[in-house]
This record gives sequence, structure tokens and C-alpha cells, in this order.
Amino acid sequence: MVVRQYNEELKYLEKINAHCWRIKKGFQPNMNVEGVFYVNNTLEKLMLDELRNSCRPGMTGGFLPGVKQIANVAALPGIVGRSVGLPDVHSGYGFAIGNMAAFDMSNPDSIVSPGGVGFDINCGVRLLRTNLHEKDVLPIKEQLTQSLFDHIPVGVGSKGIIPMNARDMEEALEMGMDWSLREGYVWAEDKEHCEEYGRMLNADPSKVSLRAKKRGLPQLGTLGAGNHYTEIQVVDEIYDKFAAGKMGLERLGQVCVMIHSGSRGFGHQVATDALVQMEKAMKRDQIDVNDRQLACARINSKEGQDYLKAMAAAANFAWVNRSSMTFLTRQAFAKQFKMAPDDLDMHVIYDVSHNIAKVEEHIVDGKLRTLLVHRKGSTRAFPPHHPLIPVDYQLTGQPVLIGGSMGTCSYVLTGTHQGMTETFGSTCHGAGRALSRAKSRRNIDYKEVLNKLETMGISIRVASPKLVMEEAPESYKNVTDVVNTCHAAGISKKTVKLRPIAVIKG
Amino acid sequence: MDEELGELTENDFIIPPVKYEYLDHTADVQLHAWGDSLTEAFEQCGMAMFGYMTELPYVQIKQVHTIEASADDMMGLLYHFLDELLFLFSAEPYLICKKLKIIEFNTEEFRIVCKCYGEEFEIGKHPQGSEVKAITYSAMQIIDEPKDNKFEVFVIIDI
Repeated sequence: MVVRQYNEELKYLEKINAHCWRIKKGFQPNMNVEGVFYVNNTLEKLMLDELRNSCRPGMTGGFLPGVKQIANVAALPGIVGRSVGLPDVHSGYGFAIGNMAAFDMSNPDSIVSPGGVGFDINCGVRLLRTNLHEKDVLPIKEQLTQSLFDHIPVGVGSKGIIPMNARDMEEALEMGMDWSLREGYVWAEDKEHCEEYGRMLNADPSKVSLRAKKRGLPQLGTLGAGNHYTEIQVVDEIYDKFAAGKMGLERLGQVCVMIHSGSRGFGHQVATDALVQMEKAMKRDQIDVNDRQLACARINSKEGQDYLKAMAAAANFAWVNRSSMTFLTRQAFAKQFKMAPDDLDMHVIYDVSHNIAKVEEHIVDGKLRTLLVHRKGSTRAFPPHHPLIPVDYQLTGQPVLIGGSMGTCSYVLTGTHQGMTETFGSTCHGAGRALSRAKSRRNIDYKEVLNKLETMGISIRVASPKLVMEEAPESYKNVTDVVNTCHAAGISKKTVKLRPIAVIKG
Repeated sequence: MDEELGELTENDFIIPPVKYEYLDHTADVQLHAWGDSLTEAFEQCGMAMFGYMTELPYVQIKQVHTIEASADDMMGLLYHFLDELLFLFSAEPYLICKKLKIIEFNTEEFRIVCKCYGEEFEIGKHPQGSEVKAITYSAMQIIDEPKDNKFEVFVIIDI
């Protein structure tokens, strides 16, 4: 890592406009392209503070500041366009979280990096709507929350309740949501409203270690811990009536359910296995990177191909996982309201993946190119008329689901043409951490957080008490700042704001 | 992974003192463990990881499992040692460990054999702590300075 004074570092950063900064070549060694990041005034301060802290002598933290990580990604072989930092960017393993980068598939040097996807492969957000109004839920809110908590296995050590043996799992890995559909856990139309229709076709379970399968099997259909959650939310504000209408969100107070979860231990193990393989491949193919954490392999190498096939299987696992919890959610609602999920209109509005790598076509320098797009803590946000988005959203653009932190709002955005040209059709994914977990536990009081949630009218069920502090809104960047920055920068458009009334967490 | 049920001796129930702490890290947590030997520092580091998943005082010693880990270098060995422990928890036998005893610590061939004492994780009995997604190499440090009697390890776990 280049060590310079903070003032020296700033010379490599240039504010292009109110919401966008450029990272010039030379900020980190061997940058092939420039970097860019999107921030407003508040987020800009957080970003630069992180850099300033890392310039202090004697700093030997685990991770480089996000802005340095964006620049290191810009130095990876085969990258095109720019290495992009979204407004919720913070430092992560190799890539920053909130970082996207695209690599030219036709360039034999181009790489794929598990660090550019993240440990939780196909972590994502799903939104279900209902035809209920807040006032229908309020009288039985506590019972409903408890029922959801009882239905959905949450937290460390919990096991899935969907019956599953090793052979079912092989099929699920290959088929994704088609498996859930065949087994009767989802509705046919759920698939339509899912990225990739809930199934990556290049998934190959034979490329996945037995270890990953063993870790995954008991955890299928579990929410997980950490920042994952299921929330009952209500429509709080509608910014774009037409787009919201297309999503079936028509009135304030309408009740929705948001599920935020990923591929559980299965995906974590796939990523771990790939990192070990790639360290070897890097030595063999003499791939030089700025940071050991950016372990990668050429897309066309055996390791690269194996990872993409295993990653696709993990992505399928995640969709089956979210689908299983969709099933459980529908059951919990149906029991409480004594109505069929159908009659409650509990359709999937959309399902996004915010930790994934995908082959996509984009225009680069006026030419159509096939790229491998890494999105880590970044959500695809395709514009209206894009061929890969469902018929229902052809006129509005792809729905983008942005989960807030515990007790804060969440948002539905839509993709824009500007985002397509500036950020390869990508936008933010959530709030992004601001405080470390340990710091949160020290500085935030358990009771205070619970009291605050209660005054806000939010019911809560949490498996792990220390999560209450770790996941308190104060630990995160303000999701409204993040979303407003994306909206103002034009890389996605605000459609609906959702307010939580009940939270279920690990 | 052989199970040795019923072969626990009285010594197996002696709980080692805590020689670890959790350090600050933005999205994750850094384990810092130490001891009178590198072996002890490794054992402590493993217990630190389990201590993050639940509250260890609630765990009873009912089972012993033996794990093996090997690697090409010391950092790799620490990494794979912890990864094996994580696997012991994540799949059969879902073991949450209160005590670890390394019975073979080969620093030339980089191999560890460790006895793991604990019981099957059970929601309701064991408070749910944080879920460990993966072990990482980031900022990993192994301090092995016998002349100063200084043995410490630092590992960041992804949670």
C-alpha cells in the first residue's frame, strides 16, 4: 500500500459534481481505469474520515479504507469503465462493500474474484405485498410478529424445517426456484419477479465441495443472523405513483413483507473454498494484485470457471432459501388472518441479488461488449425496456429493493438509463455500516434501543440480544442519505418508502 | 472425526482460563488470543470463536470429537484449524465447544490434531450469539517469540 500524507492523498481525488468523486490513476499502483464514488455531504465526510484515519501513523487495521479498495479493484486485469463505489460503500474483504466492477469477457486476462461477490453469495432482498392495511394488522401485530418468528428459523445454530435430504439438495442447487415451484413452495408467478427467474442455468453442483453441501443442508430455509431480517412494513410515502402502481403498491399504509437473507453456510463455504483455490491459480498464472485479499482467477481458467459454476449453485441455494421463507411467511399470515395467501394477494413484488457476479451485455466506448459484472453490496438497476426485466416492469424499470437497518425505513427504487451508462446498471444496496460491532455494543444501550423501537411502534423479536446493539440504526449510515444520493445522482429513482412495524432477526 | 463418548476423564472437565478478547473491526470482529505457548494461543483462539457464537458458561462438556487440520504454512494452519472448528459446529455433530486441547502441534509439517469438548448446540439451552460466516486471512498475525515468552494470534472472522 502506498503510504502518503492525507493531503497528498486528496490530490488524487476530485469532486466532479455535487454527488460524485473521481479517483485518479496513481492513487493506488497499476490502476487500469479510474475509480468513482457517489456520496452526498454527510456520506462524503464518513468516506474521507475513513481515509484520514488510515493515514495516521501506526494504523494496522484489518481492512483498507473503502476508497483505497475501490482503487485496488481498478487495478485488476481486464476491468473496463470504472471501478464504482456506491453511496453505502464501506471497507470489506478485498473489494469494498458497495463496490461494482465489470470485466471484459473477450479479454483473456480478465478475472473473476470471489472477494468481488462476497462470502454471502446472492445475499438479497425480496419484497412481498399484501392487500392488508396497517389498521388490519395493528390489533394482532404482536401475535403476527410472534407467529413469523415461530415459523421462520432464525439466528446462529438454527435449522431449516423444510424437509430436505442430500438428493433434494442436489436438485435444488441445480434448479433454483424451479425446485421450489416443483415442490409446491412458491407460485409460478413468483419466478417472473426474480432476477434470472430465480435460477442460474450454469449452476453445477459437482463443482461444489461436500463440505459446503454439508454446511448448507441443515440451513436451507433459515434466515441467518447479523444484518439479515424479515420485516413487516407499510407503505409510508409514494414518490412515483405509476411505478408503484405497477408493483401493486397503491395506497399509504399498505402492508408488505421484506425478507433479507442469502445462501447461508453453503455460500460462505463456496467462497472460502474458491479463495483457497485461487491463491494457487494466481501464483501459477502470475496475476499481480495490490492486496492479497483480492484473490482471483482468469475467467477462462479452470478455477475461474469452477467458481462461476459453484457460485451459480450458491445463488440457486439463496433463491430456494428466500422462497422457503416466502412460503413460511405466507403460512404465518394465512393462519393469523384465516385467509389463503392468494386472497391476501401476497405476491412477490421483486427479488434482488446484491452479492453476485453476472454475465451481462453493456455498451462500452460505443460498442456492445459482454462483461462479467461483479456487484458486491450493490444492486442491479436496469432501466425501462431492458430485455432482462419482467414484462410487468418494462415501462417502469427494474424494481430495486433497498433494505434499511433495524427500525429505519426501506425503499423501493427503479433503474434508470443514466445508471445504465454510468454504473453498468447498478446502485446501492442498503445502509452500510458506520460503527464497528464492538463499538456499537460498548456505546449503545440495549434497553434504550428497545424503548426507542417501542415508541416508534415497532415490534421486535431477536434471537441474539447483542444483535440489538450491533444492529441499532446508530451503527449504520443513514439509508435515506444513501438512497437520496442515488436518486440525486440519477443512477436510480425513488418509487416508494416503506416503514417497518415489526422486525424479526437472528 | 471419532467420537469418544463415555471416555471423559475428570481432567477433561477442567476449564482453561480465558486468554482472549474481541477487538474492534468495522463489519467484522477480530479475535486476539494468547497463552504460554503457541499451542495454547491457538486453543484460546478457537475457544474465542465459540465464545462469540454463544455464552460458553451455558455449554456443558458431554462429547469429545477429534479434528485434524493441515496446511502449507503457519497462517494456513491457523486458518484451517479454525475452519475445521467452524465446520464441526455448522454440520454434524453441530458441536459447540467449551474447551479445546491440541494433542499434536507439528510446526514443521504444519499439522494439528485437536480434541474438542462440548455438546450439540441447542436453541433454548444455548444463547444465540453471532453467526461466523468464514475465517479470513486479513490482518492475520501470529506472534511466536519464545525468548520473551510471547505467544499471540490475531484473526478476523467474517460475521
